Amino acid sequence: MTFSIIARCPRTGQLGLATASYSVAIGLYSDNAIRANTGVTLTHGFPNPRNNHLAIALLAQGHAPSHVLSELLANDADGDYRQIALVNREDVAVAHSGAKLRPWAGHRIGKGFVAFGDMLSGQKVVDAMATAYEAADGKGLDEQLLAALEAGRDAGGIVGKQGRLPERSAAMTVWGSQRYNEFDLRVDLHDRAIDDLKRIYTDYKPSIAYYEARAKSPRNAVPAMEFADMLKKQKETT
Amino acid sequence: MTYSIIARCPRTGRFGVGSTTFSMACGRRYESARPNVGISKSQAFYLRYVDPLALDMLAQGHTPQHIMKVLEADDPDFDYRQFGIIDRESNVIAHTGPGCGKWAGHTVGPYYAAYGNGLAGPQTVAGIVSGFLKQPDAPLEDRLLMALEGGRDAGGQMSKGIPRPERSGWIRVIDRLDHPEIDVRVDLHDKTVAELRRVLEEFKRCRGYYEDRCRHPSEAIPEEDFASRSAAKAA
Repeated sequence: MTFSIIARCPRTGQLGLATASYSVAIGLYSDNAIRANTGVTLTHGFPNPRNNHLAIALLAQGHAPSHVLSELLANDADGDYRQIALVNREDVAVAHSGAKLRPWAGHRIGKGFVAFGDMLSGQKVVDAMATAYEAADGKGLDEQLLAALEAGRDAGGIVGKQGRLPERSAAMTVWGSQRYNEFDLRVDLHDRAIDDLKRIYTDYKPSIAYYEARAKSPRNAVPAMEFADMLKKQKETT
Repeated sequence: MTYSIIARCPRTGRFGVGSTTFSMACGRRYESARPNVGISKSQAFYLRYVDPLALDMLAQGHTPQHIMKVLEADDPDFDYRQFGIIDRESNVIAHTGPGCGKWAGHTVGPYYAAYGNGLAGPQTVAGIVSGFLKQPDAPLEDRLLMALEGGRDAGGQMSKGIPRPERSGWIRVIDRLDHPEIDVRVDLHDKTVAELRRVLEEFKRCRGYYEDRCRHPSEAIPEEDFASRSAAKAA
């Protein structure tokens, strides 16, 4: 009941993920999913919350993604229920979709990315995510990830026993070279979580540079309220 | 402008942070809390690298008091920073530089710190503390939420004499494991603290189901069945 994409931007080296789910607060399972200059991973389906930390630690030791994946499965009696994806800093991508995930479940591996999900309306969901991700090439990893989520939703999204299920939570994260994310947005409980994520993203993006600048040079900072008013005016005039 | 509480639960040893602010997506700062180490949550004119640095120093064995001295010596703009640090022995320290504006300040308790800037006045911090202390036996996440509600109800944020809304909020609780027990967020909302309560309560209804589903997937019922049962129970 989740569809996700994890990716590394081959131009910038940024690592990112985007995910949407019927479950509440799906971003909880994105914790520890990324380490700068190391890789990105996610375990969904029936998540195993310890996997992210372990996977990133193994990638950091230098293991190949395929080896890390087999370690995660060997470490887990319920591997058939897990859906796991990894991309390392050399753009090597691997994925596992366990046989006991609720159908349709599967993944599509591309150059430096994996689109995957379970309880989807079909293969077309991950195909649409991959196509949208590739089509947005050059727009920045954040835009690409968001485009992939929207395409997954528009291609049929999540389906339960009674038919289509809403995305109730969503998350997206992008890391650069630092020990903390560049971008990390969440919607934890909403009727249309991807729409809400887009709304927040659109408002948030112009403020990133502002918050960085004011911390580096607090003596010259424009007050937060004045900056917010300025953004609001810009939005109204465009 | 932001107000926060950091705490170590005296009963369970769990660490928690609750924060709300005018800025968007304040919960993106996962790096501020580390299992078995502590919490360092900076705000006002904060630099993102400071919290991981402070936590690295805590993990090496330095005290919060010593870490504050090191941060001060290394930062020409220390007057503009506000932060709180708590370690796994519940040693707490907080700093509010004079450059953090009016009103800004903190209160340090035996296992918590409440602090904020761009506030209506000291009553906001007092409200955070009294909310936090209202039900000392409640789970830490509930106490953190009551703390934020207390801060909001005491006047919350203000600049230039105008009350400013909380637009994002965050509650995170970590225990001994590498992944958090609870991490709920509101990234952009006009009634953030109330929305945070709605999200936390729904998450807590699901939490046992989610944990079981991860541990024993072969026995899990479909989530849509769980959701309709849980909705029926709530009605």
